[in-house]
Amino acid sequence: MSAASAMSAVLPLATLASSLLTAAVIFMLPEQAVRTRTALNLAAALIKLVLVIWMARGLVAGEVYAVEFPVVEGLSFVLQVDELGLTFAGLSSLLWLFTTIYAIGYLEDSPNRRRFFGFFSLCVASTLGISLAGNLFTLLIFYELLTLSTYPLVAHRGTPQALAAATVYLRYTLSAGLVLMIGMVALQVLAGDLRFGQRELLAALGPEARPWLIGLFWLLTLGFGVKAALVPLHGWLPRAMVAPAPVSALLHAVAVVKAGAFGIVRLVYDVYGIGFSASLGVLDGLVVIASVTIVYGSLRALAQQELKPRLAYSTVSQVSYIVLGIGLFGPLGTIAALAHLLHQGLMKVTLFFCAGNYAEELGIHRIDELDGVGRRMPLSSLAFTIGALGMIGMPPLVGFISKWMLGMGAVQAEMPWVIAVLVASTLLNAAYFLPILNRLWFRPGPAHGIGTWPAERAPSRLETSAWLLLPALATALLSLLAGMLAGLPFSPLQWATRVVEQTYLMP
Amino acid sequence: MTELSLAPFPLLRLPLAPLLFAALLWPLLLSLRAALGATISLGQLRPHLSRPLNQPLNQPLNQPLNQPLNQPLSQPSSRSLHRPLDWLWISAPLPALALAVLGPDGSLWLEAWLLGGYWELDDQRRLLLAFSALLWGLAGWYARGYFAAEQAQAAAGDRDSRSRLLRFALFWPLTLCGNLLLLVAEDIASFYLGFALMTFSAYPLVIHNGSREARTGGLAYLVMAVLGEGMILAGLLWGAGTGSALTLSELRATLATADMGLWMGLLLWLGFGVKAGVIGLHLWLPLAHPVAPTPASAVLSGVMIKAGLVGWLSTLPLGMAGVDQSFHGLGLAMLVAGLVGAFAAALWGVAQRHPKAVLAYSSVSQMGMLAALVAIGLLKPDSWPALSVLLLFFAAHHGLSKGALFLGVGISEQPPRLPAWLLWTLLILPALSLAGALGSGLIAKWGTKKALEAAGEETLAFWLSLATVGTTLLMAQTLWRQWRQGLQHAPTATDDRRLLASMPLAWLISVLAALSLPLWFSWLAGGIEGVLSGRLAGRFAWPPLSALPALLWPLGLGLLLSLALGWSLRRVAPRLSDWLPAGDLWWPLAFCGRWLWRLARRLLQGLASLQAAWVAWWVAREGDGLAGLDTLTRAEDWLRRQLALLLLAVALMLAAVLLLSAKSRLLWP
Repeated sequence: MSAASAMSAVLPLATLASSLLTAAVIFMLPEQAVRTRTALNLAAALIKLVLVIWMARGLVAGEVYAVEFPVVEGLSFVLQVDELGLTFAGLSSLLWLFTTIYAIGYLEDSPNRRRFFGFFSLCVASTLGISLAGNLFTLLIFYELLTLSTYPLVAHRGTPQALAAATVYLRYTLSAGLVLMIGMVALQVLAGDLRFGQRELLAALGPEARPWLIGLFWLLTLGFGVKAALVPLHGWLPRAMVAPAPVSALLHAVAVVKAGAFGIVRLVYDVYGIGFSASLGVLDGLVVIASVTIVYGSLRALAQQELKPRLAYSTVSQVSYIVLGIGLFGPLGTIAALAHLLHQGLMKVTLFFCAGNYAEELGIHRIDELDGVGRRMPLSSLAFTIGALGMIGMPPLVGFISKWMLGMGAVQAEMPWVIAVLVASTLLNAAYFLPILNRLWFRPGPAHGIGTWPAERAPSRLETSAWLLLPALATALLSLLAGMLAGLPFSPLQWATRVVEQTYLMP
Repeated sequence: MTELSLAPFPLLRLPLAPLLFAALLWPLLLSLRAALGATISLGQLRPHLSRPLNQPLNQPLNQPLNQPLNQPLSQPSSRSLHRPLDWLWISAPLPALALAVLGPDGSLWLEAWLLGGYWELDDQRRLLLAFSALLWGLAGWYARGYFAAEQAQAAAGDRDSRSRLLRFALFWPLTLCGNLLLLVAEDIASFYLGFALMTFSAYPLVIHNGSREARTGGLAYLVMAVLGEGMILAGLLWGAGTGSALTLSELRATLATADMGLWMGLLLWLGFGVKAGVIGLHLWLPLAHPVAPTPASAVLSGVMIKAGLVGWLSTLPLGMAGVDQSFHGLGLAMLVAGLVGAFAAALWGVAQRHPKAVLAYSSVSQMGMLAALVAIGLLKPDSWPALSVLLLFFAAHHGLSKGALFLGVGISEQPPRLPAWLLWTLLILPALSLAGALGSGLIAKWGTKKALEAAGEETLAFWLSLATVGTTLLMAQTLWRQWRQGLQHAPTATDDRRLLASMPLAWLISVLAALSLPLWFSWLAGGIEGVLSGRLAGRFAWPPLSALPALLWPLGLGLLLSLALGWSLRRVAPRLSDWLPAGDLWWPLAFCGRWLWRLARRLLQGLASLQAAWVAWWVAREGDGLAGLDTLTRAEDWLRRQLALLLLAVALMLAAVLLLSAKSRLLWP
């Protein structure tokens, strides 16, 4: 055993442990140990980020990281690091850092912080497990763990509304987990213990298995589609808006919704294989579902009067871009899907941070209360503007890159009608985001001496607490830079291109 | 003119890359400065941040702004804050001007930028850059005078005017930056970025004064702009995807041969047509122009709507050999739409009361003529090389003349100390030039006529001449409305009437630049030795005297018509503009839009309640299921309690059955 191969097992486990152990320690710490908890949280987030970057560099250099041990005969627990998994792991560890910082500021002096941060870490650990899982069984374990660890977060406030939303959430996700398990078991029976990347196994099953495989594909998509909030399985997402802002940010940008989308990515690319999926004819179905979701989500967002539900429906619509990209057969579609996985995370987390800032600092929840906020909170509003323009798909922000690659992929897949969906989504996005920007910047409001804010907090040195402001600015800056400098080697676009070159084009 | 067909400053050619970066980054830096200024002034607005005046601010965010200006940080009345439109701010387009004059032809490849940046400077771009930067500079200089009163208010401590000015100072250079980027960009992503940046940064300029009309104008501007962006995006995506094109020239080549090239071309034509004011898509022009501050109207009409033309030139397969036959139809549609626009806008425009609305309609009309000329590029590809240079000249001529006319509107409202005859002569000159009677207008008209006759399009030449009658009418109406406004607006003591103030000087130079365009235009274009220069010399020549009657009859007819119409309609004229409001189709469309929106809203609510009903149905089913389970439990309870009795009953029943059966047949003998 050389040192390198020892590292190969240690690194994935250490990355996973960095959040799992943090969760355990936080649960053991007393409620009052604020400083220790803060330090622990930040240190763990940083360590995890460093570990993920380390693995990314190692992977580029050709290292192999994998751990596996059998659970029962013919079924093993596998962690393996590949480019695809690292994409998601990188996103989750980067945004975990920002969200942790934000949550520390957001929950200052509120009760039950031990519980919150404990489950928060657990939630990120499960996201990481999902990204590093090497087979469906391991994926499913962490997928269920994610469900269970986000429930207390959604219900955190303990109000009847929050409890009801959390119940709805649990219903949707648990039944989806059941469906997933049935699908997984059926696949296991058909093809044995199937590692991600062994795409030839299913393809080799022969024509008589095809109806089964198609059925199982849709069954598994149904299971993942609940978390990915595909219409009509999206009902839980807008209701989960009652959760605290950092939780919404995590839910929408990284953890839950993305886990669903990532599950579909794994299903298509690493279980079935894109070529085999295309020959089964299931991709066209994905494109149609995604298109419907994109338009429907945007339409519903348009009708919302409150900020967070509008953002929630926008998530429904934007996450389907990923599914759309998966469905477009061809490398460009895949690049678009993977790049958007990262891009949407950056933009959405910014928007939720800002929405949280407005709610915390000024007590604003409704869109019509946003008049003139740009004068009172210019930096948050700037970050919000960047996020919103990115969602519309304005260059040079990341959203434009996603939209562009999707359009290219659509033409490559000979589905030019998808461009109409993209343009419709752009117009609808503009229709529901531009009025908000207009209110923020160009309408006179309480900052101009007209009316008052719903609930203004005691003023601080900056426009709001630095814990809340800086993460929003950082993610906004990242979503600007990642778009502007999309040609740089480690930008999301280039990484996605690399993933495609590494895993997609190989048989 | 042949002696001028040398490269401008052939010895003094600077390297391209620094010039390009300076041209694009300098406006960006200036708007950043305004943004930082806004942040600081916001900080000062908030009571908890106020501190003794002589104590330096120690907030990290606040520091960078004032340092470049070397001003004490503590003074709340530091100039950059309260007079944001300073000399540095005016200098925004100067590097771009330098680029146009001094930059060598060449291109720049930026690998890290977006999807791969490719910026280029060639003759077409140089000409467009030159007149755009010139007008931007003059309008910026003019703005300094135009906003003098507002600046004074801001310096006196009026927060609203200060924040309005800061906003203007922020978005003006940003719009400029977008405009410049779209001119130099050769890769599609940069081009689209420049276009979008320009479009959306101009919105705050339109709604500058915040009045109700300004909001309507801004709304019209934004709605049309977003629609246009959507169509452009669709066309670009489709075209670029089909040909895997990254640059505009690859896109043109793709469009020319692709199966669905016509539809991509149509989308792009319509998308850019919103900006260029194609009839039907022009609604924002007459609404946004009158409400925008005059310098903003000048650049909107002079330069920014030319971006639509630039879009056509950059994306449509104009003058290319082997273009798909179906493009002929598109060319015809463009031709017809252009001519209809040229006439309809003129007719609607003469009924307007606000001089800037009249000028906006004149822009629609002129852009209609340009669109008709662009159509020739699809209909008669062979004559395109000759026509394209002319088109650029026409665009520059219209841009500068229209800019001068718009700036003149402000001058007639607030006249400098000039004899009335001189003032009005100067105001009339660009109008005459636009009507094709002198200066660049005459040359443009003569060149167009010759080029069209060479291409065998005499009919179009005639129709364009007829459209000039409309232009003359519009010009007469503009000047008449300006005259009337000047009479109503008595000069007050606060007006700055110095001749050497920013406003009159900038206006005077713009009039001069517009009239002298033929001189320096061919001088700039002369940089292209060989192909172009030889032809240019002939093209921008003054018409011979014998050709003048053929060129000037529309002017005469227009003047006669305006006199006749003005006299005969003098009674209805005031009411005419109420019947035919600026923005024409916008009002019925906005009505329909509101109605549709209400309908859509009801539909969406219906959708939401449908979904809620669906969920409720499932919840009810679940309730039913639970109730069923409860019933089961209760049944089980009952069973448990009554078990003994039941068993007894069963036993008795069995016994009874046995007895009965025993009766019927003997069990034992």
